[in-house]
Amino acid sequence: MKRLPVLVFFLGPLAWQVLTSFWPEPELTRALPHALTVANYAGLGTTFARAVLNSLLVAAGTTALCLAVGASAAFAVAKLEFRGRSLLFGGALAISMFPPIATVSPLYLVLRAAGLRDTLAGLILPYATFALPLTLWLLTSFFRDLPDELYRAARVDGCTPWQAFVHVFLPLSWPALATSAILVFIFSWNELLYALSFISTPSKRTIPVAIALFAGEHVEPWGQIAAASVVATVPLAFLTLFFQRRIVAGLTAGAVKE
Amino acid sequence: MKARSQAALLAAPAMAILAGVAVLPVLAAIWLSLHRSILVFHEERFIGIANFRFLFSDGRFWSALGTTAYFTAVAVAAELLIGLPVAMLLQRGGGFFRAAILLPWAIPTAVSARMWAWLFNADYGLLHRLLPGVDWLGSPRTALHAAILVDVWKTTPFVALILLAGLSAIPGDVVKAARVDGARPARIFFSITLPLLRPAILLALLFRSLDAFRVFDAIYVLTEGGPANATETLSIYAYKTLLRSGDFGYGSALSVATFACVLGIGLVFLRFLGRER
Amino acid sequence: MKRHLLVLVACLACARQGREAQPPGPVTIVLEHQPLWGDPAAFHASLERFQQENPGVVVRTQTLPNASDVAREMFLTALEGGADDFDVFAIDVVWAPEFARAGWLADLTSAFPPERLRAQYLASTIEAVTLDGKIYAVPWFLDVGLLYYRTDLVPRAPKTYAELQSFARAAMARNPGLAGYLWQGRQYEGLNCNVFEAIWGHDGDLLRDGRIALDTDAARAGLGFLREAIASGLSPRSVVASAEEETRRAFQDGRAVFLRNWPYVWAEVQKPGSPVRGKVGFAPLPSETGAPGPGTLGGWQLAVNAHSPPWRRRAAEKLVAFLTSGEAAVELALRYSRIPARRAVYDDPRVREGAPFIAALLPVALAARPRPVTPYYALASDSIQGELSGAVAGLRSPADALSRAQRIVDHLESR
Repeated sequence: MKRLPVLVFFLGPLAWQVLTSFWPEPELTRALPHALTVANYAGLGTTFARAVLNSLLVAAGTTALCLAVGASAAFAVAKLEFRGRSLLFGGALAISMFPPIATVSPLYLVLRAAGLRDTLAGLILPYATFALPLTLWLLTSFFRDLPDELYRAARVDGCTPWQAFVHVFLPLSWPALATSAILVFIFSWNELLYALSFISTPSKRTIPVAIALFAGEHVEPWGQIAAASVVATVPLAFLTLFFQRRIVAGLTAGAVKE
Repeated sequence: MKARSQAALLAAPAMAILAGVAVLPVLAAIWLSLHRSILVFHEERFIGIANFRFLFSDGRFWSALGTTAYFTAVAVAAELLIGLPVAMLLQRGGGFFRAAILLPWAIPTAVSARMWAWLFNADYGLLHRLLPGVDWLGSPRTALHAAILVDVWKTTPFVALILLAGLSAIPGDVVKAARVDGARPARIFFSITLPLLRPAILLALLFRSLDAFRVFDAIYVLTEGGPANATETLSIYAYKTLLRSGDFGYGSALSVATFACVLGIGLVFLRFLGRER
Repeated sequence: MKRHLLVLVACLACARQGREAQPPGPVTIVLEHQPLWGDPAAFHASLERFQQENPGVVVRTQTLPNASDVAREMFLTALEGGADDFDVFAIDVVWAPEFARAGWLADLTSAFPPERLRAQYLASTIEAVTLDGKIYAVPWFLDVGLLYYRTDLVPRAPKTYAELQSFARAAMARNPGLAGYLWQGRQYEGLNCNVFEAIWGHDGDLLRDGRIALDTDAARAGLGFLREAIASGLSPRSVVASAEEETRRAFQDGRAVFLRNWPYVWAEVQKPGSPVRGKVGFAPLPSETGAPGPGTLGGWQLAVNAHSPPWRRRAAEKLVAFLTSGEAAVELALRYSRIPARRAVYDDPRVREGAPFIAALLPVALAARPRPVTPYYALASDSIQGELSGAVAGLRSPADALSRAQRIVDHLESR
């Protein structure tokens, strides 16, 4: 029973938003609606559908990039000796603490020079500033937990470090890869500042930007905003429901160890 | 030797990306902050530390710094105070309960801020109807606290999970032994649980303080820094100077100052954490 | 894995289409404008008409965020980055000098010769779109700050601030719960307009030697008047957080005596079902001396994107001509209460009949004053808003706020 107030606090606002999304716009001045409608969802139109697609592309692209370069780097940091190893790990940690506003102005100029400003591809690289350190952190702590003997045995069998990574360690690491993928996806899906600064065309907006700048032909269409919010929340609700164990494990990695 | 260079090669792409999108831009921001640069009019001139000299006498900068510090301190304290009991509830298990708690953390901050803006709405908002006397976003005195409430709602789940991990690491027999010795629950909590939880608390503090100090999304959506700049944090001030006033020189100086503050906080915390271990 | 990624990045980059040759098929041009308030159907019908008259041209519209500050931010980053995905766009009157100087607006001089425009439009509106003798935008409609009052609560429109105060007090004493004077005090561009009007009402000027001047006696008096209005209860505390719509709704619900707002309000308060229908009058703003107080010149101009390719530019110019025609202005006046920028529309019989108040507004429109006409105003506006808001909310004294604002403006203007 102690859980009830906690649930009300965390889920109550969401429930109200869901109700608002079915609330007929002219009745918003009432305390409660007389009837419910799906008009707010129907009214979202293609612009918002584009935003969902854009967010999907950017989040998927960021996830792919970070896993592609992060897995091998994390393996190298955890199991191999090379110059710059502690620099990479410490640097990644430091970068994860950067306030994103610190890099907005130069990144804006660079993306513009490269012709990538106002493109979705141009968002993926900046997103690596927060996503790649996270990937490195999660995967490195995973690889560290695998026994060193595994690597030595592979080397004795004649594997190069690269082969050891691809044939021995990578097949073992899918749980950690999945965890990283989910977290990176969520963080990229939610990012606002870079998307707001680098994207100007309405049809290229991601969900957070579309919702932050939601404009109707009338003033503040709260019902439609609520409907858009629900659409943006549903995929995440599924992710958290099905993968909560992984998410929790990823978020708290390092909180207990070391 | 060959293995070493191959190892470096494995790490090279990640290193290159991090250098390219994070390290170099920060250095470039520092360089930009030494310029007068009005992008729109193609004005670009090296002016040394003049931007920083102006910054030190800029009342709006100091207000933003104060607002950011207040936001960080109050939000993080509230999150810890609420997060601890929530973590203890979570400890008793329940997959649905855990997923439900996790949901506010998972949804985009921009979405949750819009959602709260509707709850706060001064004409028809639910909170406004329940407590008609409070002008949530309209008054400079309450707006910042409204923003803090949104942050607490959204990130307490994260704090609770970190604390939960810490709680799970406490050996059960220690608590059991204390209970056998007849210690009261309150006493067990304060003299056993809390001290053993210290590392987890410090870690939550570190993560959350750094995160709260760079707060942007929630405030941009809720108030854009108003009313009367009462909710203007450093990130918001820097963002507006960069992209609304188009002043890339001074805007970069502001973002470099934000960076320096975050760096300072991070170093202090790492000191504490280092001492723990 | 890596190869897939490359393909993905390549696909995303391909979304930027080639722009060298005119694609076959109809020419699609994009119009970006702010919401017009009111039912958009009439406006969309007129765009439909344009497409029928110009076969082969398709017009798509994009709606901008409501707040003009946010809209400007969008344009700033889009145009600075050379965006060419919109062709015709509405710009606020204060952006024209800045955008033209930045090279973002197509030169429209040959399609819209200055002499012809000067003969057809109110002089101040053409001045605002001219830079070095060239035309960079065409006035679409005007906005000007007005005073609305309740004819059933006060004897006549107040001429001075003192009258405004005493009329309001008398009405408030008779009707407890009534607000006296509503205006827009939220931290946004509209606040600047309100404060500037109060400064002009105290006989002030905002430019000194071509630079923005805020630390003047008149400015302190004007801002002081607005602050005092809240402190003394003449204006409710809620104006600190109010923009146009919040104050319009309160006034329309019959909850206030006076309202400062733009012309669009007239159509709203006179709608069937409006509680104050037939009980509202309008007048120039009051002033310290009793002379009609100047309202802020607002309004929107239509410009053509300098980056828009030649084959879309021709269609874009046609659309601008269509939307700024006398007929279009009449329709905007009748349907959306928009004040015409064209002189002749005020005398059009349909306007005199269907929107008599617009015909009556001609003197007010002629007397409207622009915000400081300098390319730096739009850049400085955000900083000014924050400081004015601080004074209005009572966080610091008007004098203090104005000197802080002046410091930031000086820093921005330092060349």
